[in-house]
Amino acid sequence: MDDFQSGEEVALWVSALQSVEGAIGGNAYQHSRVNQWTTNVVEQCLSQLTKLGKPFKYIVTCVIMQKNGAGLQTASSCFWDNTTDGSCTVRWENKSMYCIVSVFGLAI
Amino acid sequence: MCDRLANTASLEKIRRKKQTMADKSDLKAELERKKQRLAEIREEKKRKEEERKKRDVRSQSETRKKSEAVPEDSDLDHKRRETEALLQSIGISPEPPLVPTHVSPPSKPGSVPSEVGRQDSTDGAVPGRTLHWDTDPSVLQLQSDPELGSRTQRLGPSKITQVDFQPRELVTYSKETQTPLAVLQSEDEDEDEEILEPAPQLVPEPREEEGKQEAKEAPPRELTEEEKQQMLHSDEFLIFFDCTIRVMERALAEDSDIFFDYSGRDLDDKEGDIQAGSNLSFNRLFYDEHWSRHRVVTCLDWSPQYPELMVASYNNNEGAPHDPDGVALVWNMKFKKTTPDYIFHCQSSVVSVGFARFHPNLVVGGTYSGQIVLWDNRSHRRTPAQRTPLSASAHTHPVYCVNVVGTQNANNLITVSTDGKMCSWSLDMLSQPQESMELVYNRSKPVAVTCMAFPASDVNNFVVGSEEGAVYTASRHGSKAGIGEMFEGHQGPVTGISCHNAVGPIDFSHLFVTSSFDWTVKLWNTKHNKPLYSFEDNADYVYDVMWSPVHPALFAAVDGMGRLDLWNLNSDTEVPAASVTMEGCPALNRVRWAPTGREVAVGDSEGRVWIYDVGELGFRRGAPAQWRDSQQSTSESGCSRSCLARWLCLMLRTGPASSARWRRSGPIGATLRRKQLRNWQDKGGHPHPTPPLHARQAGTRWPPHVSNPPVC
Repeated sequence: MDDFQSGEEVALWVSALQSVEGAIGGNAYQHSRVNQWTTNVVEQCLSQLTKLGKPFKYIVTCVIMQKNGAGLQTASSCFWDNTTDGSCTVRWENKSMYCIVSVFGLAI
Repeated sequence: MCDRLANTASLEKIRRKKQTMADKSDLKAELERKKQRLAEIREEKKRKEEERKKRDVRSQSETRKKSEAVPEDSDLDHKRRETEALLQSIGISPEPPLVPTHVSPPSKPGSVPSEVGRQDSTDGAVPGRTLHWDTDPSVLQLQSDPELGSRTQRLGPSKITQVDFQPRELVTYSKETQTPLAVLQSEDEDEDEEILEPAPQLVPEPREEEGKQEAKEAPPRELTEEEKQQMLHSDEFLIFFDCTIRVMERALAEDSDIFFDYSGRDLDDKEGDIQAGSNLSFNRLFYDEHWSRHRVVTCLDWSPQYPELMVASYNNNEGAPHDPDGVALVWNMKFKKTTPDYIFHCQSSVVSVGFARFHPNLVVGGTYSGQIVLWDNRSHRRTPAQRTPLSASAHTHPVYCVNVVGTQNANNLITVSTDGKMCSWSLDMLSQPQESMELVYNRSKPVAVTCMAFPASDVNNFVVGSEEGAVYTASRHGSKAGIGEMFEGHQGPVTGISCHNAVGPIDFSHLFVTSSFDWTVKLWNTKHNKPLYSFEDNADYVYDVMWSPVHPALFAAVDGMGRLDLWNLNSDTEVPAASVTMEGCPALNRVRWAPTGREVAVGDSEGRVWIYDVGELGFRRGAPAQWRDSQQSTSESGCSRSCLARWLCLMLRTGPASSARWRRSGPIGATLRRKQLRNWQDKGGHPHPTPPLHARQAGTRWPPHVSNPPVC
């Protein structure tokens, strides 16, 4: 994730991070509110991305996992045009939970 | 020349004007032309878009698209170049290609550059987007054909993005040891042989023994057959044989003291001769790996129906947040298994527990949240069968005291919480209390109750200890229902309270002991609001105290340094009669005597329950003497006043050395005590301290004119 393929990936990353921070920054894990948070993160991220005004299709996923000592492993891969399409994954955590936001941008 | 110059100048001016004029007109004409051109271009584009759409509907082949795309591409390119040229001619430079946040609505009349800059005349399909990517024709081609499905792209797989969070590691370490098997086996064989040999031989073959005895007597003199037979059948021999055979049988079968004489002849000698430490021996340890770990034992109770069953309650385990907070385990002393017989859970940590005295299958627990829970061992479930509601009508503070009082047919569960609320429940219906009462002292402040005790066979009056260090008497019903008197003496919260409950000829039920954070255990009389005596041998908080159920002068106390003390008031009041420290010195939270009085259960702060055997110390060997003395004094004076006096005289009785120690311990009244001692000795051992007159009056306190009554 650290080696951005292009300037667009930076934009994706920035908007994902901002949306996560805004939606759940400073909160502790609460099961009753978590579904609201995931939707907020996805919606904010997507709205920020569409505001960029680029001719891209976006796919945003958000996973919030409570810190309980369990381990987690995910993997994803895409078959696309490597020159025009890109993705980025933001891993955010605080004392009580992990949040993983993946943004995929596919050029139209 | 000047004229010519002027002429040329003016001519030039005119020319320039004309030019500008011409330029202007030219400009205008050019603008008009350009507008027309643009309109044409736009129209062409629209036409082409429509054509393209039609072609899409018919689903054309790639080659055709390509062939069409190519001329379009060149056409577009051509147009682009034209517009750029037009712009340059006017004097407006073409817009920079990359302007990321430029969004303009499709219809903006009069602004030529923006219109030119946008090449997506296909407004209907893609509103509001601008081509600011790059001028790569292939890209342009892409963007101009948004509806086409197949394009000349190079698709390839991307890098795999992974997310990985490590699980929390649990490090466990286990170690096992194995004793050498060969040694054990040989020992077992030897023991078996010994036991087998004497037993079968004794009873069926007494003649063999006679024969052996004959053989032993042989060396001095050879007896004739007649003499032998005579001897064997003589009365003396038969009597002797009869007695000794009994003793020998016992000796060989028993491993306890076979010389115990039930007639009690040698008891007096042994009264003062009790060695500390030889009487408290470790029996076993109850600890469950899963449920006892990292929990503090909060309460213990022995079952009244089955003396081998014991319940222990535990508070929450902070290291296991998913395990239930409250756990109660029922342990069995009879069998050697190391796991509990029953495991009970509840949601809040259990701070007090007890077997329901008249319901053999029920276990009552008081929890930290104020809920009373009832477990039933007939059901297979581990969760409570019944629970009280968490409402203001019941308890909302931790319930440290649960007690079943009454008789088989009329019994109640009495519970008191730390906000001073006392509720009485029926075990059949825990949905609401039968009656509830606020324990308030002097109608002002509620008492924060930490412990409670009912004297034996009393269902109405009881004593409670509080967090402020004061002890109160209280009663459930009657004209003086609620808190009665306050007993002050402790300087720290009272942790344990126990009423004298040994059943015997004399009723000592007005006596109780309390333990407190002020490192002392104090002995009280309910009729006197200052302590009778203070036991100060501890060097840490004393967490619990309990009278022995069988021995009238024995009680146990546990403190925070891992010490279990047994105090025997008959022998010594300065130091405990027996004391043992648990290995590891954990803080000991609870102590409970078994109903037989022979074992003591101690719960510590690490979740372990230690069972100690109390040897002869716990037996009633000391008791008959004690009761006998009590009987003597009661026959003389016949009042409870004498009981108090008797305790004091017993302390004096053990000799001048111990009385000197007693003198040292209390600064107040030292001279008075010395006078008493002399008095007593002069009067030849009359068991009443001065003033003797008042001692004979029944049930009186010390009269007011005695300013320093002999108490510590």
